[in-house]
Amino acid sequence: MFLKQTTVEESRKVLPKAKEKRARKTLGRMYKDRYLYLMMFPVLVFFFIFKYIPMYGTIIAFKDFRFVDGIMGSEFVGLKHFIRLFSSEDFYRIFANTLLLNVYNVIFSFPVPIILAILLNEVRNRWFKKSIQSILYIPHFISWVVLGGIIINILSPSSGVINQILKACGAEPIYFMRSSFWWIVVFVCSTIWQTAGWGTIVYLAAITSIDAEQYDAAVIDGANKWQQITKITLPSIRGTIAIMLILRMGQMLDVGFEQIYMLQNDAVLNVSDVISTYEYRVGLEGMQYSYTAALGLFKGLIGLILITSTNYIVRRLGENGLW
Amino acid sequence: MRHRITTGEKIFHAINYIFLALAAGIALFPFINVIAVSLSSSQAIMTGKVFLWPVDVTVRAYKNLIEDGQLFYALKNTVIVTLVGTLFNILGTVMIAYPLSRKHLVGGKLITALIVFTMLFNGGLIPSFVLVKNLNIMNSFWALWLPALVSVYNMIIMKNFFENLPPSLIEAVQIDGANDICILFQIVLPLSVPVIATVSLFYCVGWWNNYFNVMIYITDSEKITMTVKIMQMINNFNDTLLQSGEGVTSDQQLVPEAVKSAAIVITTIPIMCVYPFLQKYFVKGVMIGSVKG
Repeated sequence: MFLKQTTVEESRKVLPKAKEKRARKTLGRMYKDRYLYLMMFPVLVFFFIFKYIPMYGTIIAFKDFRFVDGIMGSEFVGLKHFIRLFSSEDFYRIFANTLLLNVYNVIFSFPVPIILAILLNEVRNRWFKKSIQSILYIPHFISWVVLGGIIINILSPSSGVINQILKACGAEPIYFMRSSFWWIVVFVCSTIWQTAGWGTIVYLAAITSIDAEQYDAAVIDGANKWQQITKITLPSIRGTIAIMLILRMGQMLDVGFEQIYMLQNDAVLNVSDVISTYEYRVGLEGMQYSYTAALGLFKGLIGLILITSTNYIVRRLGENGLW
Repeated sequence: MRHRITTGEKIFHAINYIFLALAAGIALFPFINVIAVSLSSSQAIMTGKVFLWPVDVTVRAYKNLIEDGQLFYALKNTVIVTLVGTLFNILGTVMIAYPLSRKHLVGGKLITALIVFTMLFNGGLIPSFVLVKNLNIMNSFWALWLPALVSVYNMIIMKNFFENLPPSLIEAVQIDGANDICILFQIVLPLSVPVIATVSLFYCVGWWNNYFNVMIYITDSEKITMTVKIMQMINNFNDTLLQSGEGVTSDQQLVPEAVKSAAIVITTIPIMCVYPFLQKYFVKGVMIGSVKG
């Protein structure tokens, strides 16, 4: 009995002491690193103000926000804006357009860098390979404003070079930017133009890590180029392709605002109006802040779900996820 | 292992070379065409003679843009926004990436997680706009610089680089009693020139091409940048840019296409001048970034 009591008492004393000791050690380490904390403090303030305060600011989706009232002072209206959003035709149109344009991009743009990388890998002349790569990378560095301006110029029905070629061949000029069908074609082609070259980097890196002996063995067995590509190259980079595809799936609700906004015009609004352009037009230009904040919050949450689930899938496949 | 090149292989290589050359040609063609148009006479443009090479070479479009001066206002603003913005970015990114790269920093993991989370979820367009408006920095370059101080992606690239520096270097000077700021400036930064160059270029190109934020935050026409200026030119063309000087006959009148093309060329030239560096360091950056996201 007596013995037991002392141990309990002792442990009572020891436990806080151990805690205190650990706390002091931690504090000591933090003091030692004081300059590091001092250094990152301004940047942490930046993240708090410009990343976390807007997250708090999304509560205006549940309010009738007016600048004069401020975020706190605006009237709370519950799900009013969400109900209006989900019962409006606009929402289903922009949601469908966003998804559709992404689906077209996955079908038509996604395979292009893979094909280019495989073909580039077969080039033996280093100078030729380097030149082709340099040219294909260029559009990645150019702003969409410039790329879009160029596209509109060359597709112009009156003076654009593409229509001049059509006319020379005896065909009627096509109003590319004002037809729903051709607009989508232009959108997809412009995506390929801007991203395909740059996209080859990841696949080229994957291809160079393939063991060269596999090809030598295949050649001895009499495999031709097509068989080498389909039986060795493609299976070897299957993992990379899967990862890139899954990551791409995580962005199904994102269509670059600038690309659409540059190419868009009133005639093709029915196919080109997407979530981001709608947010800009109705939210900022139309000043319906709370209503569009509701749309933004919806998009953000779907995006979060998409990216966490794709990351989960990537990790289940045994690859390095984003986290 | 040398083997005889079969006929099939020869055909494959020939087709491959032709195909890739064609792909590169298609990718490059719009740029060449825009340069040719910017240097051609109006008549040649309207009759569709301009293809790869300027027809009836004239520099009137460039001359008018220079005389008008507005584009150079915009160019000056773009240069200021890009240089100052990149400087802030690099300072901010080093100041957060270096402390977080130190393994034993108390709370480092939590802070990293909180920062990476902002990549996955953010308040979105409207709350950010409301914030900038409430901070009263609308219509100043601060509205561009402050919300974009540190990009999480670039921070991760830099942090990974710092983490891979040999720890013995830092430990050696720590024993000598150097504090962390001395270590950063004397040991870490001199060894980090490649990553700083890469990240600077990422930021720099981003600023140069920045369009959306300038459009929503800058309303003063004297403060707009090149991208917004070009967008305005494409949307509502200002006819004064077409007027020719005295003694110029009507067939030397300019068409909007020529002036727009000239403006596009002027914006793109600086990027193309640094392109070799861009390409080299960007490819490195993609590699570093993909090693451990």
